[in-house]
Amino acid sequence: MSSSAPARLLRELRVVARLDLAEVRRSRWLLFCLLVHALLAAAFVLVGLRESSVIGFTGMGRALLSFSHALLFLLPLLALSATGQVVNSAREDGSLELLMSHPVRRGSYFVGVSLVRGAALILPLWIAMPAMAAIGALAFGQDVPWGFLARGLAVSTALLCCFVAIGLLLSTLVRNQAKALMLAILIWAAGVAFIDFGLVGVMLQYELPPSAVFALATINPVQCARLALLSAAQPELSTFGPVGFFLANKIGGSGLLALGLAWPLFLGLTAWVWSLSRFTRRDLV
Amino acid sequence: MRIELVHAGKRFGRVIALQDVSLELPSGSRTALIGPNGSGKSTLVRLLMGMLEGRGTALIDGLDTADDRAPLARRMAYMPQIAPRFAAPVRDVVHAIASVREIEIAAIERIAQELRLDLNGLWKRPFRALSGGQRQKVLAALTLASGAELFLLDEPTASMDPASRDAFFALVESLARSATILLSSHRLEEIRRLVDRVVALEDGAIVWQGAAEDYLAEKATAVIEVRVALESAAWLESRGFAPRSGGWWVKAVPAGERASELRTVVKHLNGELIDVTAKDIERLSVEERRR
Repeated sequence: MSSSAPARLLRELRVVARLDLAEVRRSRWLLFCLLVHALLAAAFVLVGLRESSVIGFTGMGRALLSFSHALLFLLPLLALSATGQVVNSAREDGSLELLMSHPVRRGSYFVGVSLVRGAALILPLWIAMPAMAAIGALAFGQDVPWGFLARGLAVSTALLCCFVAIGLLLSTLVRNQAKALMLAILIWAAGVAFIDFGLVGVMLQYELPPSAVFALATINPVQCARLALLSAAQPELSTFGPVGFFLANKIGGSGLLALGLAWPLFLGLTAWVWSLSRFTRRDLV
Repeated sequence: MRIELVHAGKRFGRVIALQDVSLELPSGSRTALIGPNGSGKSTLVRLLMGMLEGRGTALIDGLDTADDRAPLARRMAYMPQIAPRFAAPVRDVVHAIASVREIEIAAIERIAQELRLDLNGLWKRPFRALSGGQRQKVLAALTLASGAELFLLDEPTASMDPASRDAFFALVESLARSATILLSSHRLEEIRRLVDRVVALEDGAIVWQGAAEDYLAEKATAVIEVRVALESAAWLESRGFAPRSGGWWVKAVPAGERASELRTVVKHLNGELIDVTAKDIERLSVEERRR
């Protein structure tokens, strides 16, 4: 009994995905993410549904903006924790060695694991955000801000993809699980700290040239995603920060949205390709 | 499958795991890899499975193990000593491996049954929740059902009960009769029943290779225990016996010298001998020997 190459590839992917999905279910990641999103969403719906305006957003739009904004800081941490120890822990517990002793290609393993971990993080988000909008509409009679909902989902998904890939890269490069976790937290802290306001502080403190500060801010995917979320509003220095304000005036709202989607996706793709290449070419165990 | 290592080497940073190993194992040969922890056994097996990039050449049936890992993996089967703790149910693990190997579930169930394991009663249980012995039997069933031409076995019966061990050895005889076997083990029973040749490694290099019988005669240890009346103590002490409680005296001898030593003791002590036992130690004490 032998089968064609595409059938074999699909079978390998299915096998890896099935085994990894069991790991995800056992670790309760899916449930944990869903719970975190639900709690945040509930908090913003209950507390945030007011008629007061925040940079042009009112009601459900405002609640969704606050929710998405909070997620920008949370999603990278969730993604890094869920993926930063995938490959190295499989190396350590012998499951990678056993699985790869069978006719499973390295690429199939990596793609399968990436798909499962990505889906485990993206799915709760895609459930929570529309559910939040639906609850707002049904229970509180709020209009659903479809445009912002789509923007929030797209930006958050791009950011998640970016950090899922960075986490996978970490787990491939760093063999020690504790070290990988520590680096993951450092990366998250850098992503959160090096947004506009933090950088302005650094710039003032160490008299860094403004161009360096602007460059650092724009290469930070968290900052790009934040600007993409805010791009629906009129640019104000107090909310956008100096880099965001400059960019908003330079490239406009659509430009900010494109940057917030494209840059995290590009970074993620680069990290993923790098980790795939390391995984397929270097020592497996 | 024919195994050929030519000046194979592997470093992990500053640590030399395998140095300049050249080895040729003909198709159908049955060989044990023996050596203390860190001697390079696992590295050698992993090189053969194409999981490590090393120096030199590692070939199986003329194919490079690193470049042709996937096609070779189809023809070889690996059984680790400690089964990983997959969270997936037993059914998923078995079906997953059966699927990529294109083997029938019924064949795996049949072999598991012979190893005294009823897979039907375990399908829904998480693989990680099985006992060490059960997990090892599942892997043994998957390995033996694979129809592989090369078996890489790492202490395959370490967690099995004696009856299952016997069943495993019988299954290897019937299902892997013409296959090449490379066993990594210190267990005497596995070496005696599965292989006819030994390759001993130390510090990443081959230090001995030859017939398993010769190696065991030299390296395997037997223990002789005798219980005697007090008068024979001086003679026993002079022959290297050490006193234990209850009038027992103990001496370790190379397994090959067990019979002659036993004959000498029985002949000399004759009427004073109350009780005597002699048995081989189940594991080769390779680490202890080095010190």
